[in-house]
Amino acid sequence: MGLIKHSEKLRTIAGIATVASLLLVFDVAFSAMAPAHLAFPLDERAPGEFPDAWIHGSKSAMDNDDPAVQVHAYNEHTYILRENKAINYEGAFMYLFFGNEVAMLIDQGSTSSPALFPLREVVDEIIDGWEERNGQEDIELIVANSHLHGDHYAAWNQFVDRPNTVMVGLTHEEVMAFWGIDSYPQQIVNFNLGGRELVVTGTPGHQGSELAIYDGWTDLLYTGDMFYRGRLYLEDWDAWVASIRKLRSFADQNPVVHLVNNHIEMTAKSGVDYPVGTTWQPSEPPMQMTLEMLDQAVEASFEIEEPGIYTYDDFLIYNQVPWSYTTDP
Amino acid sequence: MKLKKVICGLFLLFTTSIAQAHLLNMTNLHLDTTNPDAVTLRVKIDLGQSLLSPQDYWRTVNMGSREQWVNIEPSVNKLLDGLGIFVNGVAVAANLETWSLVAASLEAIENPLSPQMAELTFNLNNLGLESSTALANASIELRIAEWLEVPWPALLRIDSASRQLPVSRLLTSSDRSSRSVPLSADSAIAGSSFAAKLAMEFQGWIPGLSWVAIGFQHIIPWGLDHIVFVLGLFFLSTRLSTLFYQVSCFTVAHSLSLGLATLGMVSVPASIVEPLIAASIILIAVDNLCSPVLSRWRFVVVTLFGLLHGLGFASALSELMLPAENFYTALLMFNLGVEAGQIAVLVLAFAAVGWLRSWTAYTELVARPATVTIAGVGTYWLLKRAIF
Repeated sequence: MGLIKHSEKLRTIAGIATVASLLLVFDVAFSAMAPAHLAFPLDERAPGEFPDAWIHGSKSAMDNDDPAVQVHAYNEHTYILRENKAINYEGAFMYLFFGNEVAMLIDQGSTSSPALFPLREVVDEIIDGWEERNGQEDIELIVANSHLHGDHYAAWNQFVDRPNTVMVGLTHEEVMAFWGIDSYPQQIVNFNLGGRELVVTGTPGHQGSELAIYDGWTDLLYTGDMFYRGRLYLEDWDAWVASIRKLRSFADQNPVVHLVNNHIEMTAKSGVDYPVGTTWQPSEPPMQMTLEMLDQAVEASFEIEEPGIYTYDDFLIYNQVPWSYTTDP
Repeated sequence: MKLKKVICGLFLLFTTSIAQAHLLNMTNLHLDTTNPDAVTLRVKIDLGQSLLSPQDYWRTVNMGSREQWVNIEPSVNKLLDGLGIFVNGVAVAANLETWSLVAASLEAIENPLSPQMAELTFNLNNLGLESSTALANASIELRIAEWLEVPWPALLRIDSASRQLPVSRLLTSSDRSSRSVPLSADSAIAGSSFAAKLAMEFQGWIPGLSWVAIGFQHIIPWGLDHIVFVLGLFFLSTRLSTLFYQVSCFTVAHSLSLGLATLGMVSVPASIVEPLIAASIILIAVDNLCSPVLSRWRFVVVTLFGLLHGLGFASALSELMLPAENFYTALLMFNLGVEAGQIAVLVLAFAAVGWLRSWTAYTELVARPATVTIAGVGTYWLLKRAIF
């Protein structure tokens, strides 16, 4: 006879069952209280909307009443931000993608000063609201960049002391290591943003570390500065040709609803751009682009043979034109 | 309200012109310490929009190199005065080695939207360090003086031999220091706390220490099921020898299976191992309740369960990628860490209730309820792992 007497067997079994049951009840209760896991299915397109017009500066900076950063919710888990052109003529777009327990900010605008351009404050507010609506807390923020030009990371420093934040870095090597790209630019990698599947690949031409990012949940294809409604400044024509054709091929194999990017420099009039440095663009076309426009860029990649400025309906190609020639008289 | 709007407007107007002027021509700083004998700082700067006037810069671009030096020397000296480079907190001197002045035209220099960048390379060969190892373990900081204006922001890149990746820092007109950047990746992880420094010292002394720590962590706090199992062994009887023999069997067995599994000689899926580990906890607890003394078959069972738990450790270890060059050392150290974790559990158990062992009611009021709880926890894990 051991510790357990015959008459105590039932009591012992009841004790074991009670402990196990209590733990199971707690487990189930905590699971029920835990926030629902967000799903980002790839087989159905998550809808989203663009604003009728973006903030686009003003005739006089003194008269500008717009916020420093325009926040637009494309959908509940996708935000597009725009820097006020009255603060910086680049009027850069930035993107905030949410997944479970994590968000990713792509690009940090063209102004460093938090007093002028409080990007960190704005992003924190968006994240707080998103956490509240989705029952998540203390989610991680990844601070990443489309490419390594100063007008895309000027406010990077605002995030370096932010808790629970991953700073991808501002060198080619750091960026590629983060995304897991060993063979730039050819490699196409998948990146899991908290259950939201992103596809990332190198698209040099405008800059040698540029990336295109495809979000299979929304079917948005983000092309950074290598393809947008404006002056496509290309430092490496051959690289850009390969990149734009790769994007076309990618779009053949994956559903793409819009191409999104970082700037608007064209007017609503076909083939006409605003002058470099414009801080008021009252007649802007939409930021998002279509696959037909991508086709036109691919056609251009076959037509253009020499360095120079080439005009198309929705973009201009500045093929290896020194900066000194790109400014307006 | 109106006044506020006017002030904000003026502020925007003023700062807009600054932002435009300095947007495309931002400064690039590249500190390369990969070769301890040739540490360099390369500065790419829009000289004609900062330290020189466009006209002076254009004139200088078109001169021979000797005349160029005469023209740029004051600007270079100003730049050197304003760029503070500190190794381990001590300022080091830099000397201009080469320069390259490029400009398409005076018009291009005058236009802030068409940056004409000059490249200046400085050597920093007198760092005041005794060896290349000292440099690898050093920290470095770059500061731009408050009085020095360069086209902002300034992107600093630091390369070092002991880091796989460069480090980037962004300096702005209001944030002019890179702060101290450790040139060694290990130092970067350790930070500057006393405890972290102590750990790094030990790591240098015993290279596999980090694997010991990882092994320990796989018991405390991550190995809750292993902790419960060891407590099951602890509560069998009040005799220390009983505990010693069981723990010895368990240790030898899980070391063996961990080794075999890590070498790829044994492979059992976690979906099978994990429920079996839960079952082993129930069985050991039930055996405690049924048999107060150490029976011979208990050695066999504990050894078999040890083999099972070793497979569980191997599953966790497989995610960590043991280093190929020190595979066996790392495996041994990991195992030592696991043992240390087990011993820590037993020491804590003794400290908590061991001193009560001579109490007549110990079995009824301590060992038995604890064992019933262990069996209940094992049952919960078994249900969760096998069914849910």
